[in-house]
Parts: sequence; C-alpha cells; structure tokens
Amino acid sequence: MAILEEPIKGIVEVKNYIDGEWVESEGEIQDVVNPVNGEVIARVPISTKEEIDTAVEAAKASFPDWRRTPPVARARCLFRLKELLEANFEELSRVQTQEHGKTIDESRGETRRGIENVEVACGIPTLMQGYNSEDIASGIDEYLIPTPLGIFGIIGPYNFPFMIPLWSAPYAVATGNCVVIKPSSEVPLSQMKIAELVDEAGFPPGVWNVVNGGRTVVNGMLDHPDIEGITFVGSTPIAKDVIYPRCGATGKRVIAQGGASNFMVIMPDCNLRATILALMTSFFGNAGQRCLAGQNVIIVGDDDRFYNEFINGVVDTAKKIVIGNGLDEEVQMGPVRDTEKKKKILSYISSGIEEGAKIILDGRGDFKIKGDYPDTCFLGATIMENVKPEMKIVTEEIFGPTMGIIRVKTLDEAIKICDDNPFHNADAIFTSSGRTAREFKYRVKSGNVGINIGIVAPMAFFPFSGMRDSFFGILHTQGKEAIRFFTESKVVIERWP
Amino acid sequence: MQLNTSASVISFAKQLEADSASFYDKMAERYPKAAELFLAISKENSKYTMMIQRAYYGVITDAIEGCFAFSVKTDKYTFEKEPGKELDYTDALKQAIDIEEKLISFYTDAAEQSKAFMADVPRTFLIVAKKRKAREDKLRMLLKET
Repeated sequence: MAILEEPIKGIVEVKNYIDGEWVESEGEIQDVVNPVNGEVIARVPISTKEEIDTAVEAAKASFPDWRRTPPVARARCLFRLKELLEANFEELSRVQTQEHGKTIDESRGETRRGIENVEVACGIPTLMQGYNSEDIASGIDEYLIPTPLGIFGIIGPYNFPFMIPLWSAPYAVATGNCVVIKPSSEVPLSQMKIAELVDEAGFPPGVWNVVNGGRTVVNGMLDHPDIEGITFVGSTPIAKDVIYPRCGATGKRVIAQGGASNFMVIMPDCNLRATILALMTSFFGNAGQRCLAGQNVIIVGDDDRFYNEFINGVVDTAKKIVIGNGLDEEVQMGPVRDTEKKKKILSYISSGIEEGAKIILDGRGDFKIKGDYPDTCFLGATIMENVKPEMKIVTEEIFGPTMGIIRVKTLDEAIKICDDNPFHNADAIFTSSGRTAREFKYRVKSGNVGINIGIVAPMAFFPFSGMRDSFFGILHTQGKEAIRFFTESKVVIERWP
Repeated sequence: MQLNTSASVISFAKQLEADSASFYDKMAERYPKAAELFLAISKENSKYTMMIQRAYYGVITDAIEGCFAFSVKTDKYTFEKEPGKELDYTDALKQAIDIEEKLISFYTDAAEQSKAFMADVPRTFLIVAKKRKAREDKLRMLLKET
C-alpha cells in the first residue's frame, strides 16, 4: 500500500493571524521538524509581547460588534467553518501526521473530534438560552441572561495540535467572545490551516486570532488585563504552578488541564481479545503521548493462568505493532514528537528498572521501523512487570509508549492504587460483570471513567473532565460547561409599576 | 499481506470496489446483451465506496481502536480485474459470482473482526455484504438462464 501524499511541500513560513490578516512576526524564527524523517517542514515565529498585545487590541476592538451579532448569525459562521473543515478533512488530517508524527487513523480521529466541537457550538442559539421566573414577588419577574465576557486566551499543547484548541475556541466565539490562540510552537500548522478556513468562513476580523510563540506569548496572555480567561492544556507543573495561580492573581477565569498517570484495571472475567486490543490503543496509540493514555495496568486476582494468558497476549500483540511513517496506512504507531521527549521516556524506563520493574518487552531498541527512516524519534512498545504503585513510572507522567503491570488480589486494592495516585484524569475497568463495573465507577476518584473503554475521551457534548493534579479550575472544556465558562450570568429583576 | 489498521482496510475496500467495477465494465463491453445490468452493477460499486467512506470518516475518533481493529489477510480476497480472455459468457458469469463470493466474505470477515471497535463501519460492511448477496443471486439467475 502506498504512502499517502504529504500536503506540506517545501518549508511553510508560518505567520500570525491577527485582525483578519496574516502578519509577519518580528520575533525569532524556530524550525518545525517532521519527527519521522527530521525534515524541516515549517518555520514558526516566536512572537513578541507587542504582537500578543496587538492581537488582544484587535480582539478588544471586535468584541462589541461580535457580541451584538445575534447568536443565530454567529452560528452561521460556525456552520460555514464546519463545512470547510469537512471539505478539507483529509488535508487537515495529513498535516497533523506530518507535523506531529501520529498515524493517519489517529489524525483523522483527531480531526473528527475537533469538528464535533464546532458542531456542538453551532447549537448556540439554544445552548446559550437563559431562564426566568415570573412573579418572584407579585408583579416582579426575574431572569438570567448568559453574557459573553470579552477576550479569551487559548493555549494548546503539542500532542493534539488540531483538536485541543477546538475544545474551547468554537464555544468562546459562539457565545460572543473573541479569542487569541497560541498553538504549540512545535506543531503550529494545524492551527494555521484552521485560521485559513476561519477567514474563508467569514468571521469578522479580530474575532479569531492566532499568535505563535512560546513563553513570551503565554506570559503576555497571563498578564494582559484585557484577557478575561485562559484555557490551557499541557503538563501538570505548568498548569498547577504557572497558569492556575497566575490567572488567580490577575482575576482571570481558568481551565488548566494537566498531565495524567492512568490505570486500566483488568478483571479476570474480561473479554480477553477485546481488552488486549483496547489496551494497545490506550497505551501505544499516539505513541502514548496523550493525557488519556493508559500508563499502568492493574491485574486483579490470583488466577495465575489468566495472568499468564493476559501477559502473553499483550506482549505478543504489542510486539507486532507496525511502527513507521504515519502517512503509511499500515502503520499502527508513529514516532514520539522529538528527541527530548524520547530521552525523557527512556529515562523513565531506566528509573523503572532501577526501582525493580522487570522489562518483558523492550521498546528501547528491540523494534523495527517500516520504511527507511532514522530511529531518531522512534521507540517501540515497552512493557514492564513487577511494577509497584510508589515507583516513579506510576506516580509521574511518562507520556510515551510504555505499559507497567501491577498485580493485586482485590478490586479494593486496585481502586486504592488509583485513588492514591496524584493524578485523576482517566481510569478504566475491563470486566464482564455489571456489578464490578458499577462498584468501580462509583468509587474511583477519576474525572473520566471507562468501562471496557481504553481511551476515555468524552464526546464534545460532555465536559472533558479531570480531577486533582490533572485539572485546575472548576468548569471544563467542551459542551455545556464550556458555554458556562465563556459566559457570565447576568441576573435581571424587573418591575413595571 | 495482513492489514490491521482501519485506514488500510478502508483503502483496500475501495480498491476492491474499483477493481470489481472495472470487471463489470469489461463484462458490459464484451457481452452487450447484459450490458445494462453490468453497467448498473458497476455504478452500484461507487455507492458502496461512498457508504463505506462515510461510515469510516464519521466514526473514526481518537477514542476507538482504529489502528488495531482488523486482521485482514488480503490474498484471500483479491481477484482478476477483467473476465478471462478465453471465457465464454457462462464462464465469465461464473467468474463474476466468484468475485461476489470473495467480496461477501471480505466484508463479513472484516465486520466480525471490528464489531467491538469500529461502530458504524462493521454495520456498513454487513449492509454491503447483504447487497452483494442479492447481486450474487441475480448473477446466479442469469447463469441459470444461459
């Protein structure tokens, strides 16, 4: 089967999209590298404080008119954007693969998830309705009007360059706000492509802005008095120690989604084949670089026969994963994003071994790459046995294609391990017992809970949840919670004497 | 060749539909008495391709097992794109029936493999298999009439 054609040819000079114009930055330029082959595919500016200020000014100037635009008219812009995203679905997906390295199935999945958020936001005329009470006292009525706040900053991560900013932006603009998006400077092309379509969809200038860059842009957003709120997805240290407190200090609303170390609890009564395939996606999909990825399996019970059958099945399947260029449709796992990330993953594997874990599948070197590509950013699937809950490979986020195996006797012990972990993003159980599943779902303190699901990714009409060290804030991205986040509740009490 | 990913299986299905369409186009050229039927059959294939693509692009998300949902051995399902040059009408019909059997078997096997993972895709595969079964019956009727 042929490798799909690359949509990005040559080197793209990425610009900022401010006030409906493509603007060159004064900042220094950084290369964007395709992790599959090390080729430079784009150059992205690291924008200056003045440039983020200009974008905020443009958004501020657009806000009064955009806010007055009826929700049905705002929805029409989103409908046009949705149509354009569908029309460009394949190109958008391939761009993600080129800039990130993920497989084409994963990129198409990401595109679909992103578009679904635009679809949900198209329902803004009803989603944004308030409520009222007639005669709260005789002749006096009271009602609530959700109103937009102004300008929001959206800071995206590198692992889902297309989808994650769309967890916020469609809702923000649908509710009448204006946005400034900062994509990850490692993967800026997807947001550039979306902005091109936003332009074509006819959003008024200044409503949707994209400013590329790094720390300066983030600081510029955090400190800017005219930015009402920030949504951020990234690592826990940044979410917890930078974004959340700084937003608090400047009175901004905040959604700060951090990292994870998720558990997949395996009961001996699970459907073995379906569970193993679900775990392949959970642990090794997106090369393990997602906050919903499984990091450790907890096998419950003392049935050695089941344990051995499970381990053999997982190792045999993981061994056969086809690794290579994500644009090759047969490839099941692409590279990790860059060499620094690869080094970090390798250091976690070493730390696991030092702390007593036993490698039963070594993805550090024992893997083949399909096609002629350097192994610079590639890793195979690694599986480690004898993992203990206190090891670093459990208590910290690895963000790579690794699976740790923990064995316990009871479901109670499994739930305790889940609950004692500092992160609480997504945990799942695999079982054929409804009673066991209910017990797990009821007790586990996790933001997203899976039952026979390896990637507990909420649909666009549900909030992307998360708890403890995985989430800082109150309301979440996506769906009704996003509508609530991007609006203020204005209460009117009315009397006509 | 073994295919495991949804992307590769969908491309393979598209290829099978295109190959089968070109087979029926040749049948129409070679046997004018049934040309209308063969051209209609060929046209149906593009409808199946569309149905399959819609199902895949509609359901694929990062949360499902897109890269691990299949275990398709392609050799079992491949066929000649043209009716054999030496074949008479009866034998060409037999070849068409053989193609339909292979395609029904492909869609049924692929649906079974992915039923726990790919939601609308296996359902669409089964719809296409059912429609092809009806086509196979029609071809068998033609064969009987010869």
